[in-house]
Amino acid sequence: MKMRRIGVAVGFVLVASTLTASCGGGYDNTINILTNGEQIAHLDPQRNYTGDDLAFAGSTIQRSLTTYKFQAGDAGSEITGDLATDTGTSSNGGKVWAFTLKDGLKYEDGSVITCADVAYGVSRSFATDVITDGPSYAMTYLDVKGEYPGPYKATAAQQAAYDKAVTCDGNTITFNLKSTVADFNYTTTLLTFSPVPKAKDTGEKYDMHPISSGPYKIESYEVGKALVLVRNDQWDIATDTERKAYADKIVYHFGLEESAMDERLIADSGQDKTAVTAGILPESLKTVFEGDKALAKRAVNYYDPFVGYTNLNVKNLSCLDVRKAIYLALDREALRKAGGGSYTGDFADGFIKPLMKIDYKKPTQLAGLNEDGSPNVEAAKAAMAAAETKCPEVAAHAKDGLKFYYPDTEIWKKALAIWIDSMGKAGIKIKPEAVGDPAQYWPTVMNPETDYDIVRGGWAPDWANASTVIPELFTTGGGFNLTRNASDPDYKTFETKVNDARNTLDRTAQGVKWQELNQFVVDRLWALPGTFTRMQSMWGSKIENSFQWGPFGAFCYGNLKVQLEKK
Amino acid sequence: MGTAMSLDEDLITTSQQVSVESKSPRELAIARFQRDRLAKWALFVIVFYLVVAIFAPLICSLLGISPYALDGKALNDFGLPKGSFGGISGAHWLGVEPGTGRDILARLIYGARISMLVGFLATLVTTAIGIIVGVVSGYKRGMVDAVIGRITDLTLAFPSLLLMIALTRPIIQRLESFGIPEGNTSRIVYIILILGVFGWVYVARIVRGQTLSLREREFVEAARASGAGTWRIVFKELMPNLWAPVIVTVTLAIPGYVATESTLSFLGLGMLPPTASWGAMLGDSVRYYRADPTYLFIPGIALIVLVLAFNVVGDAVRDALDPKGDRQNIA
Repeated sequence: MKMRRIGVAVGFVLVASTLTASCGGGYDNTINILTNGEQIAHLDPQRNYTGDDLAFAGSTIQRSLTTYKFQAGDAGSEITGDLATDTGTSSNGGKVWAFTLKDGLKYEDGSVITCADVAYGVSRSFATDVITDGPSYAMTYLDVKGEYPGPYKATAAQQAAYDKAVTCDGNTITFNLKSTVADFNYTTTLLTFSPVPKAKDTGEKYDMHPISSGPYKIESYEVGKALVLVRNDQWDIATDTERKAYADKIVYHFGLEESAMDERLIADSGQDKTAVTAGILPESLKTVFEGDKALAKRAVNYYDPFVGYTNLNVKNLSCLDVRKAIYLALDREALRKAGGGSYTGDFADGFIKPLMKIDYKKPTQLAGLNEDGSPNVEAAKAAMAAAETKCPEVAAHAKDGLKFYYPDTEIWKKALAIWIDSMGKAGIKIKPEAVGDPAQYWPTVMNPETDYDIVRGGWAPDWANASTVIPELFTTGGGFNLTRNASDPDYKTFETKVNDARNTLDRTAQGVKWQELNQFVVDRLWALPGTFTRMQSMWGSKIENSFQWGPFGAFCYGNLKVQLEKK
Repeated sequence: MGTAMSLDEDLITTSQQVSVESKSPRELAIARFQRDRLAKWALFVIVFYLVVAIFAPLICSLLGISPYALDGKALNDFGLPKGSFGGISGAHWLGVEPGTGRDILARLIYGARISMLVGFLATLVTTAIGIIVGVVSGYKRGMVDAVIGRITDLTLAFPSLLLMIALTRPIIQRLESFGIPEGNTSRIVYIILILGVFGWVYVARIVRGQTLSLREREFVEAARASGAGTWRIVFKELMPNLWAPVIVTVTLAIPGYVATESTLSFLGLGMLPPTASWGAMLGDSVRYYRADPTYLFIPGIALIVLVLAFNVVGDAVRDALDPKGDRQNIA
């Protein structure tokens, strides 16, 4: 899943004015979520693919077939049945998966959640022209014969083909897969497998008002202002082992200035006593973690599941020596400091985080790359010199200027200054291209029309298997491949190896294959490893259950609890 | 005896007055301006800023500082400047920028170039448009004046800052497609363009008012009676009498535009990295007010001093040109 944090928002609001806005008054049994974004990227369950948003929607308004347990620590990475009675049963060597829905499941309007609704929901994820940005696992895994364009455009024959792949028998939904997927019940934690009532489906507009199957429902949703969730009285706690729904109301406040959010949480007055925010700005880190002891108690600094990296457009930068030169010249230590030093995380050695255990093995690093993150200008110059003879056109392009798309925020302006400075030393020019609204950054760079040379990336596995990392980031069918690497001479070999790893049933053997593929990408530098990131979050003094939910690197929003005033 | 004395005194005063009246109005104004010691200091400050802005590369190389050089060693593990007062040291006289360790003095000096460039060019554009529109409006009167007057009102009523923000990206893209070099050039052109579109009204209104009263004066009527054409009357008779109010508006407009550039940069609509501008520095430093307050004060003070200096000079010029003003005795 994509990383939400892109950087600091454009500051429209002065700190002082927002400080006064939050003073005084008591607090209610309401959770206030503060964010700089103008809206939630996608609330449509089949389109939601951002760690933080999945944690939010999945714990409040949407249920899937299975879910990660709503618990802190390692327990939070275990799965359990959600709409389904258990974590599913596989047959035919892991090629057929069946889930049985619980009884008494209802939508917010009181209608019953049926097996057909789940099948319909999953089918929506095939309609990639309308249902954009979502995970593509259903399309990859399901054995739908022939082309299936999703329910909106499908012919009767196409729909019949889909209905063969996903069948309903009473309360039991069965998925027929192309090949063995041993951990398909982890895939079903994604909201792709969340039910959508066909009659209520508004296509693209469903994003703004999805029908709730969870303990909360949408009362109002105004882009740039707020999303208000209130209790859904049709939800029955007897059908749900994980969601507790302690708070009466959850309000998502949009469009706030990031520094103002930090200030409000530090000040901790009035309604902000029950506020939470994901991410702390570098300039506030010292105040929070090394200033007041009471503040540090309301904040957390941990390794989240993400890896931060930089995508190179392999189509434009088709020469490995130029990519090497860029990596060697980059002052990674300066970038890390600009992001908050050790709070940013550790230098990444690849795209699979050590947290992945079985899939991780430290890849051999590029010769000449300094371990301490400092640039190796001499080696970079040598690589550029080699490029001059091997691929003069690409070298000339690098000298002429590489387009770097960045979110137009203060931190990214500094990061760009560091990029420009480091690349300049190796004779490479950077042309900065600012993307105004940080929330538009991913949509902008994911648009195939956008002509970039360098864009950033941030990714976390969708579940504990690198099959959700390497194929997603580097194959053409992947959901977040920004490297445009299809034209690379080694790509075919890579894709074959990926398919082989996917089909390897022995988990340990599969892990070794992912390790090798991680090495494969690191050797070819389709993207440059950046940081194994750390994440910092803060919450108000009256918030309980503020643990960070491992698989998502986010609060378990739906189970946040307000410590009510004693009367 | 008494009468003789008073007569003598009268004579002396009269002769003095005669010698004073022999000075031209311009000489008089300059003399009055020179008597204003505060204004002279303010003028010195402005000249100083201008010199610094113009010779920024030279000054920085003499001081051995660069606005772009990173200095990670000057930062602690949080990415904040090491040491107190924002990392002020022998190597960095005004400290370093958090996150990158770039020298603040050098960035301030280079930032002055952008601020001044925008301030002066925008004033030039708005004044030129304002004078032309104002004279035409005031001299032609009737329909032309009515139409221009409504356009003026409309422009004044527009929420210009909002429009500036909203139009930034589309217009910059359009400019670049017209062949204006992308990057900072197109951004500066945009800022000047948009300030020009909204700024001319203030000059135009003053010029129109002045023209309205001037065109009825005897010397204009005399010129008209002796067969002078419209162009001659406008350029030879009206224009020379308009410069006083225009100069006052100009001196007050420049700091306004410098501040507007800062506002736009602060809102993230300014120059691209790694270019330094005061607004961008302010925008960045505000976020560090708790962790590194020194950083906030430095660009803030630089901007305040410049704006104040222009205002003082503007006031002094107005007083100098207007003998009825009440600030003459300030010296």
